[in-house]
Amino acid sequence: MLLSAEGLTFTSHADPGPHVVLDRVSLALAAGEIVDVRGPSGSGKTTLLRALARLLPDGSGTLTLAGRPAADYEPAEWRRRVTLLPQTAAMRSGTVRDNLLMPWRLKVRSADLRPPEGVLEQALHDVGLAEIALDRDASRLSVGQAARIALLRAVLAAPDVLLLDEPDANLDNESAAQVAAMTERFAAGGGAVLRVRHQRGDVAATRTLRLVGGHLTEVES
Amino acid sequence: MNELAGGVITIGWPQLLLSTGFVVVVGILSMRLALGLERDLAVATVRTFLQLIALGLVLRWVFGIDSPWLVLAILVFMMAAAAQTIVKRAPDAPPGILGSSMVTMLLTGFTVTFAVTGLVIQVEPWYRAQYVIPMAGMVLGNSMNGIALSLERIFADLDARAGEVLALTALGATPWEAAGDSVRIAIRAGLIPTINAMAAAGIVFIPGMMTGQVLAGADPLAASYYQVVVMLMVAAATALGSVLAVLLSYRKRFTADGVYLEKGYRQGR
Repeated sequence: MLLSAEGLTFTSHADPGPHVVLDRVSLALAAGEIVDVRGPSGSGKTTLLRALARLLPDGSGTLTLAGRPAADYEPAEWRRRVTLLPQTAAMRSGTVRDNLLMPWRLKVRSADLRPPEGVLEQALHDVGLAEIALDRDASRLSVGQAARIALLRAVLAAPDVLLLDEPDANLDNESAAQVAAMTERFAAGGGAVLRVRHQRGDVAATRTLRLVGGHLTEVES
Repeated sequence: MNELAGGVITIGWPQLLLSTGFVVVVGILSMRLALGLERDLAVATVRTFLQLIALGLVLRWVFGIDSPWLVLAILVFMMAAAAQTIVKRAPDAPPGILGSSMVTMLLTGFTVTFAVTGLVIQVEPWYRAQYVIPMAGMVLGNSMNGIALSLERIFADLDARAGEVLALTALGATPWEAAGDSVRIAIRAGLIPTINAMAAAGIVFIPGMMTGQVLAGADPLAASYYQVVVMLMVAAATALGSVLAVLLSYRKRFTADGVYLEKGYRQGR
């Protein structure tokens, strides 16, 4: 197993008062898999992704990546390998290029080679953004464009596991298909993907899980 | 007739009462325009009287005793009061900010005050209250404002950028990398009023200390030299204080694992 989680538990103290969001949730992701997580709004799907990315304050449970426990990894190193893409795409001020190359300005990737211009342009082309110049001011992107660029940024940074929080919520059908294709290419390259979705279905998912009342169950296909 | 002391016209109780008349006028205005400020104005006026006269009495007593320990104790008391004020002015700051404010005030206050009294003015002996306490007051008062602005800004800006901070952290950013933009914005916010004051000094307004020295009969040119020293000292103290305060405190909004504590995750912290 590439990523596995045992007994993830999280109690929220936010409104409407203390309640268990994740109740001893366990799951395992193999390399090459695309797993969808479904469930009603507020059922804790985003919380689950944050727990897996070690981005959840006060969560508990055991995480293992490539056979090694979470404690073997520095938090930043873990997140470099298990990367969450939040639902709302956050662009930094600067150009599209600045945003796509942002991961390589972080200490955790300082030894890695930056992708050359050609790779960035090809990547934009592959998600239907060929008309976006790398010099474009990122603040002038539409919500749908920003969502795809944020996904590209995460994919180009080449994590082992991608955690996608409603990656196509703001996209039209054509863009959503391009995002799905990019996700499939990532998985075909040996990565694992966990996607939170509640709108579309597509054929990309190898399995579907359902999160209700803090419990995660496999949905029979 | 007013008595003359060293060429200076001194002010007595009749003059104090007369000046209170101006506040009464403002009070009447407030009532007529239904501003609802009468009570606050009255309290503020009484506080001004009591606090400043008390300060005058304390300083007279301290100058008479001339003890280094007493001077140091007063400085520490002033710094604690400044740290307390900073905490009150940054209500959104995480708990534990009092400690870093206190450390900031102690480091900035002592370093800048004694750098000026010891190296620039060369006060003998080093603890002479007549110089050390007013200088410390100016250092602390001004850097306190800058620090409070910086701290208020860093936590407001981090909250406004919470989505970006999460996205950066999710890609492997350390708290320093995720908070960097906010840190710079906050330090700038703390420094800008001081830089503006330096640029406007002498043209738009006559700084308080120079005014005081001139009124007390000092040569205006000599007073201006003093004022230059004080303004540079205040700028240094504000810069040092803002940088220290922000660097010592921004990390408190992150967990040990480097996760930014968004509003929904702050209960019990």
